[in-house]
Amino acid sequence: MMIRVITRRILRALLTLFLVVTFVFFVLRLTGDPVSAMMPDDTDPAIMDQMREDWGLNRPLAVQYADYWMGLAQGDFGNAYRDGRPALEVVSERIPATLTLTLTGFAFIVIVGFPLGILAAINRGTVIDRGIMTLSVTGFSLPNFFLGILLILLFSVQLRLLPAFGSDKWYNLLMPVFTLGTAGAAVIARFVRSSMLEVLSAPYIRAARARGVQERQIIWRIALPNAAIPTITVLGFMVGALISGSIVTESVFAWPGIGRLLIDSVTQRELAIVQTIVMLTAFSMVVANLTVDLLYLMIDPRQRYAATSGA
Amino acid sequence: MTGERVPLAIEGLTVYHHAVDAPVIENLALSVKPGEIRGLVGESGSGKSITCMAALGLLNDDWQISGQIALAGNRTLQAVAERRGFDAAMIFQDATSSLNPIQTIGQQLTETVARLRRLSRATARRVALDLLKRVDLPEPEARYDYYPFQLSGGQNQRVMIALALAGQPRILFADEPTTALDVTIQSQILELLKSIRDETGMGIVFVTHDLGVIEDICDTVSVMYSGRIVESGPVTDIIDRPAHPYTSGLISSMPTLAGQIPAGIAGQVPAPGQRPTGCAFAPRCSEARPDCRTEPPRLVAFSAGRDVACLNPLGGNHAAEQSRLDHRHCPNKSTRQEPIAEIKNAACDYRVGGGGVFRAVSNVSFDINDRESVAVIGESGSGKSTIGKLLLGLEAPAEGEILFSREPVPLLGTVLHRAYARFVQLVPQNPYLSLDPRATIGNQIREPLIIHRIGTQAEQLHKRDELLEAVGLGPEFADRYPHEISGGQCQRAVIARALCLQPQMLICDEATASLDVSVQARIIALLRELQERFQLSLVFITHDLRIIRSLCQKVAVMQKGELVEFGTAEQVLSTPSHPYTRALLAAVPEKKKELA
Repeated sequence: MMIRVITRRILRALLTLFLVVTFVFFVLRLTGDPVSAMMPDDTDPAIMDQMREDWGLNRPLAVQYADYWMGLAQGDFGNAYRDGRPALEVVSERIPATLTLTLTGFAFIVIVGFPLGILAAINRGTVIDRGIMTLSVTGFSLPNFFLGILLILLFSVQLRLLPAFGSDKWYNLLMPVFTLGTAGAAVIARFVRSSMLEVLSAPYIRAARARGVQERQIIWRIALPNAAIPTITVLGFMVGALISGSIVTESVFAWPGIGRLLIDSVTQRELAIVQTIVMLTAFSMVVANLTVDLLYLMIDPRQRYAATSGA
Repeated sequence: MTGERVPLAIEGLTVYHHAVDAPVIENLALSVKPGEIRGLVGESGSGKSITCMAALGLLNDDWQISGQIALAGNRTLQAVAERRGFDAAMIFQDATSSLNPIQTIGQQLTETVARLRRLSRATARRVALDLLKRVDLPEPEARYDYYPFQLSGGQNQRVMIALALAGQPRILFADEPTTALDVTIQSQILELLKSIRDETGMGIVFVTHDLGVIEDICDTVSVMYSGRIVESGPVTDIIDRPAHPYTSGLISSMPTLAGQIPAGIAGQVPAPGQRPTGCAFAPRCSEARPDCRTEPPRLVAFSAGRDVACLNPLGGNHAAEQSRLDHRHCPNKSTRQEPIAEIKNAACDYRVGGGGVFRAVSNVSFDINDRESVAVIGESGSGKSTIGKLLLGLEAPAEGEILFSREPVPLLGTVLHRAYARFVQLVPQNPYLSLDPRATIGNQIREPLIIHRIGTQAEQLHKRDELLEAVGLGPEFADRYPHEISGGQCQRAVIARALCLQPQMLICDEATASLDVSVQARIIALLRELQERFQLSLVFITHDLRIIRSLCQKVAVMQKGELVEFGTAEQVLSTPSHPYTRALLAAVPEKKKELA
């Protein structure tokens, strides 16, 4: 039963991937021509036509689309126009940098967001609660590029504590991760707080207190797992926010990741690279959502029951 | 007593609420001897639950407590929290939501046993299984690994009781533990509590609004009103000869199988901070004298073992008897013996997960005669609400047919159904949830007229005021919002709304189940009056057999989707033919003499 549920979700994920790839394929080809983006305006039209011919861009869209899928089926993601390198190779080089940034950012969100939310909830209405909530509003109100620039101005330009660029030392991560994760941590803190407050007023918490369960046990062993269930959904959305956030953050800090590659590739109409990146991004979103669904099933016996009884 | 520690002794308890800026509980004394079951009764808002929560130290910083609380002889107001589970335990009304939803009941129980008895997990697990057996949970070994959502409400309440027994407490606070349960399950749980009391000598504070339950299980009773105890003593004494007019009012509000018309108590419990200077009950009391309004009565000895807080206590047993409005059953007047609605071999299915169907009702046939009231009774899951939905056209019969005025009942979503709404209307259980919180009472009563484009604005407003008057609210309620009025008043507004289109039949689905008995009695009286005045047929879906006689001529008994008995109220209640009906009747908590 469980296997069937998971298979169904994976099939749905594949459909999502297919739709994303198709959408991006057509949008890219309808919004600009790689050849005219690459060559100077005064290039001989005959040369440009020749280039289109060489790259197969003058064929009907449907043919190009079918061709693209044929390639994908054989693991061929297409080549970059400029240097002719396989798109997958170009993108793969950049993956570690982005992965480092987004995973650390995700950890930052969880490590900062959860404790702050719990702290605010158990100190509801006090200075601590109000302080954390004020920070939280500030946190998700600041656009991350702005936050990034502020950090550079403060720590690199004024205090000269941290370098504004670079990615090879651990401390190079500090400012980008803070820039990337602050908004998410702020949202999670808020969400964990309200979720905890709701759970803490539930009858089963009162009943646990009535049989003398220690307050610490109540918070960590009973309230938090229950409050975590709805929070997981939000964490799933965070993956999307992290990916889009990383594009901006990488630009601000000149981080050699996928985000910058994407921006460059879009302006240069490097179709194969853009497509590969979008596909990769969609894939990570799909994986994140699948993980959320599976985590749900793991944590919440009611969902598990509903899933396995075929509802 | 044999020098055993007194399970509970509360002296001079005052509980102050900071936000309300007034005491909610005032100068309350309550004690329970070993093996004693003390009932705590009163309308909602009288402070019963707060008293229990205060005794267990469960109130948060919004509250300030003063006075003496001794649990099992430990006179320690501050240290109460540390003794929770050991000296005292508590069970609640909604057992299912009182258990951690994502942990198995076995784990929860084992953890609690291990903690409270300082046992290893393996030993605790064995004790936990023993406890599950002790509370008669069927198949305890298998159910050990169940989650609360997989068990029924009654089974979860057994688990809650097992949890409460984990620390071998001397006193158990039971806050409406059977209110949400079916009568047969309720009587099983009451028996279980009694047998545990007999075995352990534990004292129990039993909070309920149901005097029938008090009579069934309690040795002594304390009646609470507006944060004070107004009367206390042995149960039989107090039920037979109440001294406080409030107690008498509560008793006469109880519907009985014998069918006395419950009287109810007018008005409502004053909010803390708005209590009158004298006796808090004086504004609602028919016996009040001028000094009642100026001088707060103290709780003093009334007779042996009995205390009452009343300047003008009732003497003898005249009070309870007199305050019943009359002893007539619901008039057995012969109505026009013509069916207005007919249920013919009806079956109804619900889709369930995995493409299966669940047959909620099968092969049910009975008629509802014009201007007649029919009670549909049964336990949860018996299909009684589905009967209501079929009659309203909210569900389609899978087999058979539902007729109204000899025509098939049109289904929701069809053009005809809209017109049908003018003939049949619903009064649901929870009046708060069935009113729009952001619309005034008046607009909601008038809304059906607007939807059906009936009358000019002036006529509609006139009709609205007329209806408010008819349900005993008065036009001044038109501009109020649901949260500004009490539950009983909300239910009156809902009834007014249902009557707006001048229907011929009302479907009341547990319409009084979430109301206090004092209010329930008055709603029943109102329904009777309205039925007469507007010549209505009534279908009264209920789990409470005691309200049948005062309202209904016919009874349909449902069990597991089937109609097991149908007949006149007299017949079914006095000479039930089906074993299930007999079981239901036997489970009704009330004095056995009234059954005779």
